[in-house]
Amino acid sequence: MSQTPSDAAMMKKREACFAITYDQGSFDQYWEGTYLRSNETIAKVKRTTIMPMIAIGILDNLNFYVGVPYVQTQSDKPNGGQLQGVKGFQDLSIAVKYRALNKDIGNGTLALFAAGGFATPITNYLSDYRPYSLGNGTDEWSLRGIAQYKLKMGLYVRLMGGYLFRGQTQAERDFYYNNGAYYTSWMDVPSAWESNAVIGMWLLNNTLRIEASYYALNSTSGDDIRKYNAAQPTNKVVFDQFGLSAQYFIKPVKGLGVLVYYNQMLNGRNIGKVTTLGIGATYQFKF
Amino acid sequence: MVSSCEEHEMPRFAKYSAYEYSDLDEDGGTWQPILIASADEIVIEAPADVNSVEYQADLVSLKSIVANLNDKQRDAVKYWTNNPAIRWNEIALELATKYNLIPGPNPDGTYTLPTPANPDGPSPFPFAHPAYTSRVLAYLSVAQFDGLIAAWHYKYQFNRLSPAHQDDAIETAYPLSSLPSYPSDGAVIAIASRDILNAMFPLEKDYINKRAEEHLASLLWAGANVESDLTAGELIGSEIAKLALAKASTDGMSKAQCPKPVSDSIALSAFNRFGWQWKNMEIPVRPVGLAPLYCNVKMWSVPNLEAVRPGPPPSLDSEAFKKAVRELKDIQENMTEEKRKIANWWADGLGTYTPPGHWNRFAKDFLIQYEQNPIRTARTFAYLNMAIMDAGISCWDAKYHYHYPRPIQTIPGFKTIVGTPNFPSYTSGHSAFSAAAASILSHLFPAETAKCQKWANEAAESRIYGGIHYRFDAEVGITQGKAVAEYTLDKLKVDGAD
Repeated sequence: MSQTPSDAAMMKKREACFAITYDQGSFDQYWEGTYLRSNETIAKVKRTTIMPMIAIGILDNLNFYVGVPYVQTQSDKPNGGQLQGVKGFQDLSIAVKYRALNKDIGNGTLALFAAGGFATPITNYLSDYRPYSLGNGTDEWSLRGIAQYKLKMGLYVRLMGGYLFRGQTQAERDFYYNNGAYYTSWMDVPSAWESNAVIGMWLLNNTLRIEASYYALNSTSGDDIRKYNAAQPTNKVVFDQFGLSAQYFIKPVKGLGVLVYYNQMLNGRNIGKVTTLGIGATYQFKF
Repeated sequence: MVSSCEEHEMPRFAKYSAYEYSDLDEDGGTWQPILIASADEIVIEAPADVNSVEYQADLVSLKSIVANLNDKQRDAVKYWTNNPAIRWNEIALELATKYNLIPGPNPDGTYTLPTPANPDGPSPFPFAHPAYTSRVLAYLSVAQFDGLIAAWHYKYQFNRLSPAHQDDAIETAYPLSSLPSYPSDGAVIAIASRDILNAMFPLEKDYINKRAEEHLASLLWAGANVESDLTAGELIGSEIAKLALAKASTDGMSKAQCPKPVSDSIALSAFNRFGWQWKNMEIPVRPVGLAPLYCNVKMWSVPNLEAVRPGPPPSLDSEAFKKAVRELKDIQENMTEEKRKIANWWADGLGTYTPPGHWNRFAKDFLIQYEQNPIRTARTFAYLNMAIMDAGISCWDAKYHYHYPRPIQTIPGFKTIVGTPNFPSYTSGHSAFSAAAASILSHLFPAETAKCQKWANEAAESRIYGGIHYRFDAEVGITQGKAVAEYTLDKLKVDGAD
């Protein structure tokens, strides 16, 4: 994926990039705690996301982002539960990224960034409806540090570390179990650390970019999914995943790019073992 | 739902403090118990005179304990309060919640159900489903109630007032009360609750015993009782629990989860009689529904099943059935946030305290609000839970007698927002439990009648919004619950308390 608050792409001042992606993530196994299992009540769960996003160059070193995904979830048939999926707009996210350093060192360039973001649900979706719920149903504040070293010949390496601070979400019931009884509709959504390591390469005279990435997320608290029971927003979600992506800038149309990406979860806790396939288009322009 | 920057409290139990009882019910010892014919069937020794050497030594010991409390002990005193049946009800609900999990399939597609013969597993015993939970609460509450009737009888027979009355230097953490303290009502509750819950949740003995120990100790820490008060109360608690568990062991529960051949023959009976039969739609299919013979468990107040069994549901080709289906489809196709919330609010499904638990929570809130004393608290829980358990037995009788298929079975391609449980449709358990509970609570807390009726009706309606019951399941279930509760109320009205 490109021009996100997590990467090293920067719009120059008065440049902007509009991106839209369409992807589908699915799983037919999930980790119940650390136990990988299938469950024919939900069978294979599919999650389709359409995400429009815009990155705006405020200054050469300061970018602003806005994005809002539209999500649809459901189980394939046949399934034992016959439960409704959900569809709707999920969370509005805004972010600011600042490039603190952009310095030639050796045969390449070292760039350092800091990014801060905020996401909030913009529809009244029910968070306590996993695995079909559209999102966590709570505000999320993010703070990320990014470092990238890119060689002149086009090869680069990038590292990102971040903290996601999540609040509480409101369930539509006022009693639940989280390693004990709770007499309230408010559930604590665990905050999390995330990290990302990427190796990438520009090819074909800077028209094709390919990347391989490793991403990990670790919640700092939370309970495990109970035996043969539904997941809950209180769960401790942990996972790592491997990804590949390619972005191609179409020569005849200035600023237009297409992208394709694939992610596969490797290990996890309290989450589906999701495989994601996505495509997208980007359009960069001056204003 | 967006959360603001402020953190919302997430309480684990009711936040209330020890309070002055609205009434002492000096005649509590004359009320009609459930398990025993009268209070004096349980015998305890007369207490030592307050001027005796033994009692004076007890007082000295107590004074020293109260003067040397640490923070943990003070917290325990605050937590247990002077109406501890409320805490034990919360503990029962938390255990029910912990064990309200349905077994998943084995790799070969079979299911292994929990069994008391082998409580550790593979599926831990028990599966605290609504029927099981209602039974836990009924036996727990009845044992507590009968135990306190016996305690009240002896309190007023011996009239030994509390330590704070005997010695000015002893400060009690609870509001000073002229309720005599021998035997200790707290000790009755601690031991009766411990013994019932140990039997109902055999894997939790270490935890339950620890809570009981802490509760007993807190009675000394609170300066509320001397050691000899506790001993007498423990004896009553132990005796009444034995009687309750003796009744429970022969009430038919052990045969409620029948084997497949019996379950199949029940289904075939219904099919031959009505032309339909309920089927479990899970993958892999569960071979037996939940507790098909729960109807044979002995009811507390209703003489026989036929007295409260509703008439048959509409046939599958009737206009009434088609109308109910149209309504269900319309609701799912045009789901609103309001209906979704009602469906979820009352769902009380797997992993929760079940509808019986939800109504015990309401009772708890009323008991605290109206500052009821321990014996009236126990009476409220006892009659509430006897009515709820009877309503469940009657409901399960209708469910397997009529064996009516669920909406996901009769409506092709139908999807719901609440999961369909592993038992037939007609009548709705939520409706029967709730109507029975509302009847009892309305009688005991008349000012709350409108609220209770609204809750019961909404609980019933929630199952239609959830997509798992037809309207007639809910409406007839409400009528059924009310009819069952009439028998409970008949007993309650003449027990001598009012």
